[in-house]
Amino acid sequence: MTQEQIIEKLRTMMRKTSQAKVDWDAVNTDSPIASLGFDSLSILDLVYDIQQELGLEFEAEELVKVKTVGQLAAFLAGKQK
Amino acid sequence: MNNRRVVVSGIGVVTSLGLDETTFWQNMVAGKCGINRIKAFDIANYKAQNGAEVDNEQLASVMAARQLKASDRTVDFAMAASVEALETAGLKPADVSPQSTEMAVILGTGIGCNHTLLSANEGFEARGIKGVRPTTIPRCMANAISSQISMKFKLTGPNYVVVSACTSATTAMGIAYRMVKDGTVDLALTGGTDAVFEHRIYAGWNNLGVMAVNPLPEKSCRPFDRDRNGCVLGEGAGILVIESLESALRRKARIRGEICGFGESSDASHITHPSPEGQAKAITNALKSAGMTPKDIGFINAHGTATRTNDECESQSIRLAMGGETDRIPVASNKSFFGHTLGASGAIETIATILGLEKKIVPANLNLDNPDPACNLNFVGNEPMPVTAKTAMKNSFGFGGNNAVLVLSRYED
Repeated sequence: MTQEQIIEKLRTMMRKTSQAKVDWDAVNTDSPIASLGFDSLSILDLVYDIQQELGLEFEAEELVKVKTVGQLAAFLAGKQK
Repeated sequence: MNNRRVVVSGIGVVTSLGLDETTFWQNMVAGKCGINRIKAFDIANYKAQNGAEVDNEQLASVMAARQLKASDRTVDFAMAASVEALETAGLKPADVSPQSTEMAVILGTGIGCNHTLLSANEGFEARGIKGVRPTTIPRCMANAISSQISMKFKLTGPNYVVVSACTSATTAMGIAYRMVKDGTVDLALTGGTDAVFEHRIYAGWNNLGVMAVNPLPEKSCRPFDRDRNGCVLGEGAGILVIESLESALRRKARIRGEICGFGESSDASHITHPSPEGQAKAITNALKSAGMTPKDIGFINAHGTATRTNDECESQSIRLAMGGETDRIPVASNKSFFGHTLGASGAIETIATILGLEKKIVPANLNLDNPDPACNLNFVGNEPMPVTAKTAMKNSFGFGGNNAVLVLSRYED
């Protein structure tokens, strides 16, 4: 799966879990995840949904340095076997 | 202690008959039945194949229009009905007025957030520990229902969930009524919610031996009928905004009805088999709480589950408590319209009772073709009945020997 395809899937998953009103069509690789309406609990749901949807195994702690949607997509692309 | 009058100013429903008060009531008066063959899962191997399900597309569309995110199905029902109840009470959910922030949220559920719990079980079976959603606990705890509503609408009064099987909503409304009556709060959001159509939970009901088996869904639920053979489950929520009369008048709210009394009791005998004495005690306690006698009751919205045991027992209970007035009082069950909605049933049926008092019509007792001689009451027939009565009674009886009864009136100055 390409990073673009991953971003498209992330948009859908984030829209479902986010607590804020966000213009999801405008979300791009540079969008900071912190601006997308997740709190300490809903971000756990997002990580769970990503693992389920994309079939990837990783620890939430591995995402400490991930700040933007693009960085998250790159991280997930790297986890693909 | 205060002894304030308590009125109903907001109504919200999510049922198989409609996801708003108007549609729900129109369908009841028109005699439409919301029971169909169950679609939520493959029903082929179950004995009891009929149910009153909330339409998923309609629910999604109402949730989107009311700007709600899906959580557990039980919470979703309550949340969607709460928006309608707050709006009809003149309390805009998006901009809750300062008065309403002191609202209590007291809700009932029979089964609670079982969909979340059982999907955690599925996750564990599939992926082990990592397969369990990290937010399973805050999603599946029973009080998530009232807590999510309290948070969403910034309602800072007490919030909790009452669990007493099929009396849950009636008990919750009774507690909320007492809180408003004694001045603990001016307003309360109250009612109940349940979402029973999960294949493993439903298997438990299927195997319990109390469910109707009938190839014709719309004919399967037959309260008090000679040929009834069990209950048909439904899902949904009923939510009311109740408040002190002073608060409603101050806010110039549209008053829909009045709660005049609440009574409860326990059979203290058997976990599923009811007792006429226990139920009659709750009815008598409700009348006493309202300062009324059987002469004041214009009609009864029965628990009427359509099991052989319940309907016969309830008939005896009504006769025990209402004595010589019994044969005068019209009795009807709503469950042949939208099934037995368990922990939501008391609230949805209380709403139907309040609408009946307001519009002076008691909806029909669908499928009561041949009243069972063992249920010797003055039943409403297969057509709606015009009524002028000012006061009615709502019965709810549950597994566990839980009995709860409300006395409701049309509001008059």
